[in-house]
Amino acid sequence: MVKNTLVISQRFLTFHARRLWVLSGAFLVILLGPLANYYFQINWIQGWYQSLGVGKFWFVSPLEGLESILVAKQLYLPALIAMLAPVLLALLLGSVFCSWVCPISFFSEILDGIRRKISGRKWLKDRLLLSRRLLWYALLGELTLTMILGGPVFVFVSPPGLVGRELMTLIFFHTLALEGVILLLVLGMNLVTRRFYCRYFCPLGATLNLLGSRRKLAVRMDHDRCTACGLCDRRCPLGLSPANGMTASLYCWNCGECVDACQSQALSFQWRSASSEDSPSESVPTSSQKPNIPTETAGFWQ
Amino acid sequence: MKRREFLKKAGATIGVITALPEITCGKGLLTSPVTTNRLRPPGAVPEEIFAGKCIRCGRCVEVCPYRSIRLLDIRSGIFTGTPIIAAEAIPCYLCMKCVLICPTGTLRKISQEQTRMGLAVVNRHRCYTWQGSIICRTCFDVCPYKGRAIILDELRPIVVNDHCTGCGICTHACPVTAEDGSKAINIEPIYAQETVLWK
Repeated sequence: MVKNTLVISQRFLTFHARRLWVLSGAFLVILLGPLANYYFQINWIQGWYQSLGVGKFWFVSPLEGLESILVAKQLYLPALIAMLAPVLLALLLGSVFCSWVCPISFFSEILDGIRRKISGRKWLKDRLLLSRRLLWYALLGELTLTMILGGPVFVFVSPPGLVGRELMTLIFFHTLALEGVILLLVLGMNLVTRRFYCRYFCPLGATLNLLGSRRKLAVRMDHDRCTACGLCDRRCPLGLSPANGMTASLYCWNCGECVDACQSQALSFQWRSASSEDSPSESVPTSSQKPNIPTETAGFWQ
Repeated sequence: MKRREFLKKAGATIGVITALPEITCGKGLLTSPVTTNRLRPPGAVPEEIFAGKCIRCGRCVEVCPYRSIRLLDIRSGIFTGTPIIAAEAIPCYLCMKCVLICPTGTLRKISQEQTRMGLAVVNRHRCYTWQGSIICRTCFDVCPYKGRAIILDELRPIVVNDHCTGCGICTHACPVTAEDGSKAINIEPIYAQETVLWK
């Protein structure tokens, strides 16, 4: 059984630890890429998480690719093929790019660690909470602004892309680009609310969330085991409530923190099968009374 | 603050921020950075859709073995993060590596000879040979299409429009430098201003 294997392997390495390894690896790719290009003229890896070229394999970020098509009104087959892999990943696993790959997540995790050490608290507080629907307005607003200006906005102020650009500028031209201030702002807001930008403003996150609305992999709750201790709710970096079935919502990015936090092993990653209609949200009786549940955003998607 | 008041103020603020660079520097947020000796890499689509098509992945900068291509920063408005070549500093040596890796087709896959980054224009008031002070044929010697793109007419350099790729090697090599940094032979990006037919 999938569930059993996940629970057993979790004892050796928590999802948090695994995620840190993957995040570090993903960060190393965009750090070592420019270094290899600049000092050794090895062009095997180019770019960062707007478009990454690994040998003959190209990846293009779905939102950037979409903006490019919308504004230029031209289709380019290599770009479409390069968008395929990220889109499929999001369709199957949800917005795992955000939690497992994005360099902003990497910095946020480090920052969270430091914040925990300094404050001495195990749980980090979220001081400023906004409506989660802002995320969709951010995506809509961003696309509208893009169409008005005739130039994609997100592609040059996107924080995940900016990390790569700043690293490349540093290595190639031994200077930093001015727009790096945006990065400081984004990371600075993490001190007020964990993943403030990711929660409410990231258009790329919104795109991936939408793509992953029918994702196959989701955290599922076993109500018989749940002791309602609330540990998972406090652990979730997005401020979602796994105990109330919000891991099935559009906003969950499958980071696995709640699975780590659960002491009674009530939460686990599970594959949703297409045939059985027992999606996690439907198995939760109280979900219709809680805010920010999938039913609320389902209308937006359809 | 009432909603209407807020919206009015927000609109005014955005308007001022957008218009401010245009008024102060004469260079707006939507002004193309492509001017004399400031060129796009080979195969670039016209400026009209360049900002829209380029996704600022910087891969052309990373593969460029001569470090000719640089990225523009936020001061260039919507052209932030797009690649640019300063011809008089480091010209394009037409290795054509960047056109092969552009993921969005912003740099079209073309050959060396098809490249039209601009057109070299000799400033006859500055050129030593045209002025008759000394005989200099540096631009002719360095031109990758010498005898075709630059020909000599009584030892004076003349650019042939049909063959000039606009690589800027002549501009880089030209010994004459004016106060504004331009040379006696400059690259004018005339092809960047082409209009795009919407199909």
